[in-house]
Amino acid sequence: MSWTLMNRCCLKCWHKPPDNPCPNYVQCRIKGPLCHDDPECRELRARRLNELEFGRYGVKVRVAIASCTLAVGAAEVYEAIRDYVKESGLAIDISVVGCHGLDFIDPWIEVVRKGYPPAIYANVSPEEVEDIISRYLSGDVSKAFALRYRTGNAKGEFHVPTLDELVFWRKQVRLVSSNCGLINPESIEEYVVRGGYLGLARALRMRPEEVIEEIKLAKLRGRGGAGFPTWIKWKAVKDQVSDVKYVVANAEEGDPSAFSNRLLVESDPHILVEGMIIAGYAIGASKGYVFVGTEGDLAAERLKKAIEEAKKYGLLGENILGSGFAFDIEIVQDAGRYTSGEETALLEEIEGKRSTPRVRPPYPVTKGLWGKPTVINNVETLAHAAVILRDGWDRYATIGTEKSGGTKMVSVSGSIKRPGVYEVPIGTTIRTIIEDIAGGAPEGLKLKAVEVGGPAGGFLPVSEINIPLDYDTLPKLGVAMGSGVLVAVDEHKCMVDLARQFMAFFVSESCGKCVPCRVGTKTMLSILERISSGKGSEEDLELLKELGETLKDACLCALGNGAPIPVLSSIRYFKEEFSAHIREKRCPAGICPVSREVVRYEG
Amino acid sequence: MRGKVKVKVDGIEVEVDPGSVVLDAIKKAGIPMHSLCQAGELYRGASCRLCLVELPNGKLVPACAYPVSNGLEVYTRTPRTLRTRRTTLELLLAYHRIECWICKRKGDCILVKMANDLRLEGIPICAECPLHSDECLLNKGILCLGPLTVAGCEAECPATGGRCWGCRGPITREDVVVRALRRYRELGFTLKEVIETAEIFWSAHPFLEKFKLLAEGV
Repeated sequence: MSWTLMNRCCLKCWHKPPDNPCPNYVQCRIKGPLCHDDPECRELRARRLNELEFGRYGVKVRVAIASCTLAVGAAEVYEAIRDYVKESGLAIDISVVGCHGLDFIDPWIEVVRKGYPPAIYANVSPEEVEDIISRYLSGDVSKAFALRYRTGNAKGEFHVPTLDELVFWRKQVRLVSSNCGLINPESIEEYVVRGGYLGLARALRMRPEEVIEEIKLAKLRGRGGAGFPTWIKWKAVKDQVSDVKYVVANAEEGDPSAFSNRLLVESDPHILVEGMIIAGYAIGASKGYVFVGTEGDLAAERLKKAIEEAKKYGLLGENILGSGFAFDIEIVQDAGRYTSGEETALLEEIEGKRSTPRVRPPYPVTKGLWGKPTVINNVETLAHAAVILRDGWDRYATIGTEKSGGTKMVSVSGSIKRPGVYEVPIGTTIRTIIEDIAGGAPEGLKLKAVEVGGPAGGFLPVSEINIPLDYDTLPKLGVAMGSGVLVAVDEHKCMVDLARQFMAFFVSESCGKCVPCRVGTKTMLSILERISSGKGSEEDLELLKELGETLKDACLCALGNGAPIPVLSSIRYFKEEFSAHIREKRCPAGICPVSREVVRYEG
Repeated sequence: MRGKVKVKVDGIEVEVDPGSVVLDAIKKAGIPMHSLCQAGELYRGASCRLCLVELPNGKLVPACAYPVSNGLEVYTRTPRTLRTRRTTLELLLAYHRIECWICKRKGDCILVKMANDLRLEGIPICAECPLHSDECLLNKGILCLGPLTVAGCEAECPATGGRCWGCRGPITREDVVVRALRRYRELGFTLKEVIETAEIFWSAHPFLEKFKLLAEGV
């Protein structure tokens, strides 16, 4: 193993965690050496920085390996590149990176060479690899999808746009996802080079209440869905008198079609580690848990590596950076399910019980994990905390709306030209995200509705999507921010069928603890099935509404309260489709079994 | 223990011990309130959602598990609480196997009391009947319409020795009717005489036709 930036540069460096850690360790990595002035050490750092950027031999290929790219054959592309480099004997470094979140260009690779513009190639197949690399090395970038920046001496360069010229990149504000797709998720060194752990170093020099004040001024609100101000939660736990407190990071995205948290943890696990340490320092906790569901195998693996590396260099463990603060993180991986995303059910599952929600009060801030005060945050919230501490609240608070600062990662999927994860300022209109960033419906299709915020979020008709995505506006329209999911629904889909599918999802995912959710979802499903098979009546709609309102009010947890929302919102905005099923006994989209029967009779 | 906690229930101010739950305050205020768990210590899972009460901020909380605090105000009879309570009870009953004539809780059923309070129909007279199964009029060979008739009269006739004539109207839940008809046949009654007795009070009831159809199918 060669020398890395994380190691000592010469014998003068005395950083030795945990007995004698240097408080300036993080800053010293890139700006150093700080404690002595030695041109040789400076030279060593500069050489290594250059190596990280362009590889050991001046040429580097970044291959995106994350769940999203692996699903479309990134592993084969990686192997093809490795074989090509081996056979041709070219001096090229291959680096594994996370994913940008631009899912429509998967699998993608990026070739970097000093003096040339770094070029991103989209939808790469293993056969193309040889052509791409040899063309790039000959100075031809015309086949590239985009350039990271221009340097101005490659062939065909001006026919290829830079990322900033592309609308889906330009309209994003990438704060927490800035490292995604750029760094090796398994390398702490690359994270530190990009400004990682500076937020932690800054936080440790502040008092805990100052850290909480910083979060308050940044107007950070929980990204898990409810939008609860993070500083209130942290302060409540900090004010509790208890020998043990916990930080719990919720990395279980139960919502189907939500994948932004997974992308974040897979592509940049250190930002979560950093955010958790900061949260732990602010509230006085010494232990953190990350809950990862079964889908998060890769995320858990990379996070485990990140925790190991952070421990190795004294950024986690005893006496972090000489502050006397100790913190440890444990990963809990279990069969995640929809209810595990609910915070108290998550605690139950970490404690080894069945994941059912608890009665509140007592709230987790007073009695959480094993009866101790606990902060439960979504992974994205914790990542935002790390960014706030690194950049300062003043810059962060200028992004977003008056009541809620910063950005939100949204997962866009469905009938859409450019599905993916995009990070946009809070308050960006849904139309901007769907039509400008994600490109609207694919050719020949027209959008009808957008599902906002996951299954418990609800549907909005396309005419209504001119509203800002924030925590205050959406509930007024009967939908919720949820996990930041936007699913585009085109005209060939039937709203009754979608409502039925969502209800079937809730029936199978309901934990069965409280009556309204357990029986109510099942009853609503049977009514919806009756309507979709053409046996429904007008009273059924009233019954659905009545049941829906009851579920919204009476269920034990937010997941039960959210269960009727897809049905209620589709009745609210697409009543004519329900009427067609009930009165005319036909399905306008031709999906529900009712219309198939009609076709058979006519034929 | 330090002083008592003052709680306002539907505008009535009551004092309860700190650490108790809203349900205790409701009981102290003398407001009738059914709950399946009855006592806070017994089971505090708050999962039946039948004792939901409304807070001034519009939140619905379970009275059996919500802790009291000084100056807490709760409302037990708002339109929202009544509606959710009614629908939730309906949902609970929908998956409840109603065979009151052989049920051990005969005569002392919380569900029927709640159903009567919330004007829900679907539970037969048998749930209120004080005659236990061995003394049941049907066992004595008397054709009582209790299993088919809507509860709510405190089973006045059977209690005083007379049989039920079904004057409160038929139960319209099909699975209950089918089970009751099977019971009649097991005990040796012919369905023809059951229908004839039922026609005395139900001849104008829209359910009668359906009832006859169901009897044919049994």
